[in-house]
Amino acid sequence: MSDRSIPRLLQTPAVLLLLVWMLVPLSMTLFFSFIRYALNNTRRPEWTTPDIANWRGFGNYNYVLNNKDFWFAIQNSVIIVVSILIITVIFGLAIAVLVNRSFPGRGIVRVLLISPFFVMPAVNAVLWINMILDPVLGLNGVAVAGINNIVSGLQDFPVLGAFFSLWPEFEPVSFRATQTSAYAVIMMVSWQWTPFAVLIFMTSLQSEDESQKEAATLDGASPWSQFINLTVPHLARPIAIVVMIQSIFHLSLYAEIEIVSRGNGNKNLPYLIGEFSTNNIGAASATGIFAVILANIIAIFLLRMVGKSLMD
Amino acid sequence: MAAVTERSNFGKIAWPVVAWVVALIFFFPIFWLVFTSFKTDADAVKPEHLFFFTPTLENYTNMTQNYDYWRFAINSVITSSFATLFALAVGVPCAYAMAFNPSRHTKDILMWMLSTKMLPAAAVLYPMTFLTKNFLGIFDTHFLVILVLCLINLPIAIWMLFTYFKEIPKEIIEASKMDGVTTWGEIKDILIPLAWGGVASTALLTFIFCWNEAYWTVRLTTVDAATLSKLIEGNRAPEGLFFGRLAAVSTAAVGPIVVLGWFCQKQLVQGLTFGAVK
Repeated sequence: MSDRSIPRLLQTPAVLLLLVWMLVPLSMTLFFSFIRYALNNTRRPEWTTPDIANWRGFGNYNYVLNNKDFWFAIQNSVIIVVSILIITVIFGLAIAVLVNRSFPGRGIVRVLLISPFFVMPAVNAVLWINMILDPVLGLNGVAVAGINNIVSGLQDFPVLGAFFSLWPEFEPVSFRATQTSAYAVIMMVSWQWTPFAVLIFMTSLQSEDESQKEAATLDGASPWSQFINLTVPHLARPIAIVVMIQSIFHLSLYAEIEIVSRGNGNKNLPYLIGEFSTNNIGAASATGIFAVILANIIAIFLLRMVGKSLMD
Repeated sequence: MAAVTERSNFGKIAWPVVAWVVALIFFFPIFWLVFTSFKTDADAVKPEHLFFFTPTLENYTNMTQNYDYWRFAINSVITSSFATLFALAVGVPCAYAMAFNPSRHTKDILMWMLSTKMLPAAAVLYPMTFLTKNFLGIFDTHFLVILVLCLINLPIAIWMLFTYFKEIPKEIIEASKMDGVTTWGEIKDILIPLAWGGVASTALLTFIFCWNEAYWTVRLTTVDAATLSKLIEGNRAPEGLFFGRLAAVSTAAVGPIVVLGWFCQKQLVQGLTFGAVK
């Protein structure tokens, strides 16, 4: 065997497996997206099985493009991913700097901080939406009721009471509502993934060149200007990696969306596909193809960003 | 470092206090989940029992007796372990070849592998169900779950392994080639011992992702191969009524992996860089 064929041979299993994993279902999805295929159609039983005779051309694509949920879902997918990225990178940086110094109990602090990353996404969603954010039974409701009680107690005081009686009764925010469910998802996912950002930034901060910083201190540079001019450029690559890995995971967010509001007011593309696939496989497949296109656009953009320096 | 020693006394006290407060805030939801799991369903929704209640193990005994917790847990252990093993078995040789014998396509292959991870699972769920149920007959088997978990985590695993292997000086591998060591010998006796931290941390992360996976494992199983994510799925409705029970099931589902994470935290912190640190 020649020198070049062994490395190729070693890569073959991985490449082949991923190729089959990608191509087989994807080509089926592509096929389904061009035919009429509805699971529960009693009037047209011939549409309930996939058959080339039910060819619909671009009909499914047309149907999806004219569906207002589709455009909302694209917009919402992007909003959710971008918000989570901004929050996790900012908090991740701040916390990584915070725990990079030595102080009593730093080991325990790290363990506590990293824990959310290990929690199953479904449990994360169940825990936040029920036990923490529920407006009546969760801590959210309990806390707001507590504040209202204190305020109404203070109203009996002389002088001060007159001031507090002007206060309105606070209403807890319901995070299952149409307008707010996206916030709940952003909140819980950011909670889970900030530790991931902290982990990567922390490792990267430890490799920072300390002598450079000491020189800057001697030159009278403030800690803030050191952070902006030395630390942030050093962290450019880790930030790119955090953005890329997280985008991969959050574009396909599903469990959180479903558990928070069953997609009410907060559909993303995967959720919309799931909704279509309970009946209209044709439309679900067409949406799937659009989702693949969107993922590829983002992938090209992200991989460029990281890929450049990958091989050095 | 000069800046640290010159910092005021206030900074010396405030810094750890802030760090501790942030850490406790981040940990609080997990604490609350475990705390709630010791309340009865009735106590869990009463504000007067928010902090003070009679702790009970009722939820846990109920869970093991009526919800077959151990079957789900064993399935999770089996599927996640084997999926991790297979991902390493396929990923290590691949990353080895990419790191030490790169061709001009290596970067593109790596990027393409990662891009398969961006395909929305929902887009191919129906074809997958259709195929595995009607043609292959492997729906709801351990084999299918292991295969799928291995495949969805393979790109990330290869990426991680590649970034570690790339840091190993090529000369070491080349020298062993001169000595007539076989490829298998190189991987087993030289590469893996040298990159042990990276391999361990890849395995750990893959295992965590497998354990927590909930899209495919819920949809490609019914009973036989159902994992802990399926148990959560079955217990989460109707919402708001059974917080105690829900909290106990959730604690039992995430407990093992969180504890594993704690023990391997050092390993993970050192290893998890995805090539971010040069």
